[in-house]
Amino acid sequence: MTPAPVEVRSRSGEHSVNTSLDRFSYDDAIVRQFLFATLIWGVVGMLVGLLIALQLANPWFNLNTSWLSFGRLRPLHTNAVVFAFAGNAFFCGAYYSTQRLLKARMFSDAMSKFHFWGWQAIIVAAAITLPLGYTQAKEYAELEWPIDIAIAVVWVVFAFNFFATIVRRRERHIYVAIWFYIASIITVAVLHIFNNLSIPVGLFKSYSIYAGVQDAFMQWWYGHNAVAFFLTTPFLGLMYYFMPKAAEGPVYSYKLSILHFWSLVFMYIWAGPHHLHYTALPEWATTTGMLFSVMLWAPSWGGMINGLLTLRGAWHKVSQDPILKFFVVAITAYGMATFEGPMLSIKSVNALAHYTDWIIAHVHTGALGWNGFMTFGMVYWLLPRLFQTEVYSKRAMEVHFWIASIGIVLYVTAIYSAGLTQGLMWRAFDQTGRLAYPDFVETVVKLLPMYWMRAVGGSLYLVGMFIFGWNILMTWKRRPSQYEVPVIEAAPLSPRYVDVEPVAPVPAGVWARFLHAGWHRRWERMPMLFSALTLLTVVVASLFEILPTFLIKSNVPTIASVKPYTPLELAGRDIYIAEGCFNCHSQMIRPFRYETERYGEYSKPGESVYDHPFLWGSRRIGPDLAREGGKYPDLWHVRHFENPRAITARSIMPAYAHFLTEKLDYAGIQKRVDAMAMLGVPYGEAINKAEAMARTQASVIAAVIASQGGPSGLEDKKMVAIVAYMQRLGRDIQVSKTAAATSNAGATTP
Amino acid sequence: MTLSQIMSNAGLSMYAEVALVLFLLAFVVIVIRTYLPSRRRELEETSRLPLDDGTVVVNPRSSAKRGRTP
Repeated sequence: MTPAPVEVRSRSGEHSVNTSLDRFSYDDAIVRQFLFATLIWGVVGMLVGLLIALQLANPWFNLNTSWLSFGRLRPLHTNAVVFAFAGNAFFCGAYYSTQRLLKARMFSDAMSKFHFWGWQAIIVAAAITLPLGYTQAKEYAELEWPIDIAIAVVWVVFAFNFFATIVRRRERHIYVAIWFYIASIITVAVLHIFNNLSIPVGLFKSYSIYAGVQDAFMQWWYGHNAVAFFLTTPFLGLMYYFMPKAAEGPVYSYKLSILHFWSLVFMYIWAGPHHLHYTALPEWATTTGMLFSVMLWAPSWGGMINGLLTLRGAWHKVSQDPILKFFVVAITAYGMATFEGPMLSIKSVNALAHYTDWIIAHVHTGALGWNGFMTFGMVYWLLPRLFQTEVYSKRAMEVHFWIASIGIVLYVTAIYSAGLTQGLMWRAFDQTGRLAYPDFVETVVKLLPMYWMRAVGGSLYLVGMFIFGWNILMTWKRRPSQYEVPVIEAAPLSPRYVDVEPVAPVPAGVWARFLHAGWHRRWERMPMLFSALTLLTVVVASLFEILPTFLIKSNVPTIASVKPYTPLELAGRDIYIAEGCFNCHSQMIRPFRYETERYGEYSKPGESVYDHPFLWGSRRIGPDLAREGGKYPDLWHVRHFENPRAITARSIMPAYAHFLTEKLDYAGIQKRVDAMAMLGVPYGEAINKAEAMARTQASVIAAVIASQGGPSGLEDKKMVAIVAYMQRLGRDIQVSKTAAATSNAGATTP
Repeated sequence: MTLSQIMSNAGLSMYAEVALVLFLLAFVVIVIRTYLPSRRRELEETSRLPLDDGTVVVNPRSSAKRGRTP
């Protein structure tokens, strides 16, 4: 609680307009809570990461348990480390620094507590629902609609508390770290709301309101900017606060930090389409994304250099101070990741790297190096201040630093090698012009030693995490029986800005007055206007980039022969989504000869107009499935799902034997078809008799499977639905070709 | 006539370039303003904000004293 202001004569030299000073204290209890949440979720997220790394090295680690399979746990890992570990770390640092930079306690302790407990409840909900297969199938936005609403509510409360604190601040100028927090809070809200718009079909199932190309565009506008505004700008805010603290000197160039901020806000929002190079997205959009990504190189490196040079005159401290070591490696990792990101966005580089482990290595350079090490450095700096005692073991901090650094090197070296290896093997042709490795599994088996090396590197990083946790707990145990709560004194903000030093007179002439820039100085003191301008920048850029694909028909040409999925195929598609198959299989064949030779004709924008959500994927741990329909008999799919290694000896795919025993929810099919129809999918007669149509198709497929020598009685099992979906993939284009061939033949027949 | 038909026929393909120019202009204004000599003192003061946590007037455990927090 903020103590009432007391009358205190101001000392000479202080803001002369104030005759009284406020007394107040900072809320550090909330910072401590977020610190512990960071530790707990970091351990959980990284443990799940290690498990899924082992699953890729050897499928035995899927433990033949549906809720522990790779497809379901991979989103849990990403959500836990991004939103739980890095999210709580950001909140921890933001609550500490915001209060001190604004010379104000948070507006409402109750809101801070609501934010903390609400966020933890959301993470628990994610940890339960994702393994159960409740997912929207959008990367980093997998959580289903009730949790999405909870995120929006908690975020709005956090934002209100934050902005109200800014309004009640006692420091006139808003330091650049706060700008980065403002941009993060606003942009994450915009991204989250628009990417998650969906039609619910039950408590834990929904369909994205967008389809195909438009859904892909929205998703990667979100996905890229989730990285930008959840993992980059918040941590840059932390860097601009905690690096000067640790180095005991101001940031190298405050002017550069201003340019760093505005360039990122202007450019980041445009860069998303580089995740969709050579896909069915219009080329103008991917080219725009590439150009803005390459431009991001400059401000990112400006920021990186600014962070490192903050150590000017203090470099000798780095060898002695593990906190500075963490910060230096973190900022270096930021530099490496933001060098590599623009490079990967260049189309010719992306052609090799996309869908491979190269992207995974890139992400982990950023996540383990930048986010992880910034968090470790920040928490170690906070420990003595929050727990009001010495850090338990400086030696353990050193060991943590080195073991985690070696872990990162092993992890990324192995996975960069894996990415390059796989990318090169996919595109290799032999002397006769045929694919050198036509069997996809050849390109997987080659990676297994590197996957083991990744598991070793990840384990080392996790060991570092345990040392980190041990050191925190031991320090916490040494805390005083009651924390000191220092009372701070600062002058309240005057309603009118009065500069303490005389300002040069306003020059005459329009241009001179413009350059004098008193108008902008006024803007800077108006945080709400500043926030509105940031919002405007982000929204305008987003609209200019995204709207054309929604409103200009030529951006997504339709194909007459592409029809909606049958009710049974739709049910199968939902099983594909629930199992997270899209985490390993793309459905997007790029227009390269080595792709069309391997998978068939390249994918067209019009093919996915009924795909709510799109399932193009971002990684090929298994082969692309866009033209899977008709490649194999139904029984092949049954045997393959039951035990992939019975068909492909060295496959690393988890087994899905439960499809043979679990019953298909026929009763729920009608509701799903109705929801699709509501989204504009022309379902025709299926709107009235979806269940009957599904049962008819299921009995046909079940009979075919039995006639091929497979198990009988599959009519009411999940297996028929997923097989129906597999056999439909990519068939509509073949229908149009057959029709065209028939009509041509008809035309030439006398 | 639907919104998408109107937008499709409106010839808006130039708008992306217009946005680019607008953003560039805004950025140039920010750069000029940031490097105005008249702002040097203000920015130097602002850059030192993280080093000032406020003046501690009452520290319950230790003796009450005035001074900067670490």
